[in-house]
Amino acid sequence: MNKKQSDALLEEMLKRVTQAPPADDAAAARVLRRLAGPLPQQKMPLWRLPSVLLDWQFAPAWPRMAALACCAALGFIIGIAGVDRGFDGGGPPFTVASSADIGAIVFEPEALTGARP
Amino acid sequence: MDETDEALMARIARGDEPAFRALASRHLPVMLGLARRILGNPADAEDVVQEAMLRVWTHAPRWQPLAQFRTWLTRVVVNLCLDRKRRAPWVELEAAGELTDPAPGAGEQAERNERDRLVAAAIAELPARQRAAIVLTYGDGMSNAQVAEILDTSVSAVETLLVRGKQNLRRALDSVIDEDK
Repeated sequence: MNKKQSDALLEEMLKRVTQAPPADDAAAARVLRRLAGPLPQQKMPLWRLPSVLLDWQFAPAWPRMAALACCAALGFIIGIAGVDRGFDGGGPPFTVASSADIGAIVFEPEALTGARP
Repeated sequence: MDETDEALMARIARGDEPAFRALASRHLPVMLGLARRILGNPADAEDVVQEAMLRVWTHAPRWQPLAQFRTWLTRVVVNLCLDRKRRAPWVELEAAGELTDPAPGAGEQAERNERDRLVAAAIAELPARQRAAIVLTYGDGMSNAQVAEILDTSVSAVETLLVRGKQNLRRALDSVIDEDK
């Protein structure tokens, strides 16, 4: 047998041995069953990132937004109507800065030395 | 009418699970056969093909139809097989002895089965890339260009892999080839 013939024989054997086996339906079914579970998260391409970021989903947050707006409006009304003043201890509604002797406290001469600040 | 692989991939890229399962069931048997021939172990082949299909799912949004889907999937499966071969020892191709040729009688058939078993064992001893090139070329009838695309190398590198692979096989199978003279 020359080299050409032995090459041909080897190739024939390789074709026979490496040929595709008959389809194993049981193995395919097993793999399909394993793939039936929850699938992992898909990887997003970077060029899709802007559209992903712009795709705001506000719908689930609307009730919270409405509650926040209601709280803000209620606070505003209470502030305007002065309903909260009753909780301030019954003092005068306004503090007049000039009525307090702030200047005397600040510029009072020191008792011992008589030095002024 | 069946959708093309590319159409199914477009649906999978949008998170369509039924499309993924349709694509998986279409390609699973062939990919299992390929993985089994490279790895020589049905259990490992199932793991590898499952992993490959999960990669199809996760990478679908990034997939660009630059090559045929089948070629891309084959590449993923072959690469996973080569990775696994680096980590795990070879288990002999157990089906090799059962491959049948319809014509000959029982004795001749047994002899042929024994020869095929020896050839399968010799293929098993080849380096992983040589083995993959031989399986894809002789088993799947792919051209050198297709094998080069799958193995991510040049056509001349595939030719070298095949030549070296066959040299190694010839050395290992000298007695078997001599018997056939």
